[in-house]
Amino acid sequence: MRKTYGKVLPGMKLNDLSGKLIVVEGTDGAGRTTQINLLKTWLEEQGHAVLDTGMTRSMLAGEGIRRAKEGNNLGRVTQSLFYATDFVDRLENEIVPALRAGFVVLTDRYIYSLMARAIVRGMDAAWIRSIYSVALVPDAVIYLRIGVDELIPRVIFSRGFDYWESGMDVFPGQDMYESFRSYQSALLAEFDKLSVEYHFETVDASSDVKTVFAELQKKVMRILEGDSRKEFVSKLYEQVAEMSQLRTEAIFAAIPREMQRTDLELLLRSAAANEASGNGRNVA
Amino acid sequence: MNTGNNLRIGPFEIFFPVTQVLEKPRQNGGQQFPGKLFVVEGIDGSGKSTQLSLLHKWLESKGYGVVFSTWNSSPLVKDTTKLGKKKKMLTPATFSLIHATDFADRIERSILPLLKAGAVVLCDRYIYTAFARDVARGMDSKWVRELYGFAMKPSVAFYFRVPLETAIGRLVTARDGFKFYEAGLDLGLADDPTESFRLFQGRIIQEYEKMIPEFGLTVIDATLPVEVQQAQVRQIAKTHLDRARELRVRP
Repeated sequence: MRKTYGKVLPGMKLNDLSGKLIVVEGTDGAGRTTQINLLKTWLEEQGHAVLDTGMTRSMLAGEGIRRAKEGNNLGRVTQSLFYATDFVDRLENEIVPALRAGFVVLTDRYIYSLMARAIVRGMDAAWIRSIYSVALVPDAVIYLRIGVDELIPRVIFSRGFDYWESGMDVFPGQDMYESFRSYQSALLAEFDKLSVEYHFETVDASSDVKTVFAELQKKVMRILEGDSRKEFVSKLYEQVAEMSQLRTEAIFAAIPREMQRTDLELLLRSAAANEASGNGRNVA
Repeated sequence: MNTGNNLRIGPFEIFFPVTQVLEKPRQNGGQQFPGKLFVVEGIDGSGKSTQLSLLHKWLESKGYGVVFSTWNSSPLVKDTTKLGKKKKMLTPATFSLIHATDFADRIERSILPLLKAGAVVLCDRYIYTAFARDVARGMDSKWVRELYGFAMKPSVAFYFRVPLETAIGRLVTARDGFKFYEAGLDLGLADDPTESFRLFQGRIIQEYEKMIPEFGLTVIDATLPVEVQQAQVRQIAKTHLDRARELRVRP
């Protein structure tokens, strides 16, 4: 049975959440998105159904947050709660249903980023923790860690400094470079604290993409090994085969006797036999 | 970490730490600010908005700088709330959170600065509305109280107590039909909107009754004539304003 960090939302059943919840955390520019895309493709190739989700992607609040961030009047408490709304909407409508359907859920950031950001903005740690006590405990938190000094060149030579990523709302007196440095250092310190408390699996994200990915693959493989769903999936295949057999029989039962000698019958029979045996052998 | 009324973390100062509302409720919470905060609470049809607008007029006539703030009105958040309600996307949890977000924006952007500046702020519905509705929807009562831990305690919170049937009688004549979330139709208590409204508001009344001792709400009998209720409201407001003469806006 899956657990939450303390409180269970009304109507949320924690049994039968057989999928795996894998969190990829890290500061801005640590390469989370790249790695998640690689992981998703790799897992799908292996036959896993994958849902990837991330911050501000909720149907409910994603657009609202984007619009609110365009202006300069999004307060600290409001910001924290808007993100919490976005998170809970995705938790209830994406993450939990996907886990129930046996998916591997890859989430780009989770409550830890949201907590770190709120705490760095001076919010009370107990307050923000209490809000996120409704979150599910994931199967693993992979933390892509990168120091500020390695991070800065990455950001400069890709998309440049961004107002919110630089924490300009937190350090308004500083220029963007200074602000970025102060803000990301504060976030990093907060992440390091959280990593102990929430048992993050830390990966050095300053290496190249391939090395980091190999490291991630190892960790993810370990999570998916010993997965009780392997048995479940093979049973499911058996059931599907059985159902398709029954369906074929039903189709033939429905066809009037005089029509059964037609070419159509022969055609259907051979097609159905192929489908049921599943190996494409021609028995017509 | 908690030093006096405010909480300091590094260079930041938080004006309303969580613990103050939860564990150490400030009986005169509004007092660290020069302004005053009066809020009205009660179910729909209790007549609270009428009473608040009469108080508003009286305060203005007395020369106070008065500002009015209604529930669910943040320009930053209301489109999201509207979307959620229109598409019926809201669960009890997201209903709770989006209303808290709206409230936070109003607190940060208007209510807090106004109180610091010495205004009299009037709120039609406050955190107690959220506590009543969210808990009636099945949210954990402690979780919701902590969620609103950033709110300051009002100078006075008036609760307009009215029997359910009286309120429904007033509403049925005043409008045609109830809205989906207003009637608690998301909870599936009943198919008929009026019946669902009755059941849902019944739960809300129960929650309000629990909060009277918990938060020291000032109960006004909302079955009394409007004038009598208003006289009571003004008298109570006056005792708070007497101690704050300097709030008056000089002509």
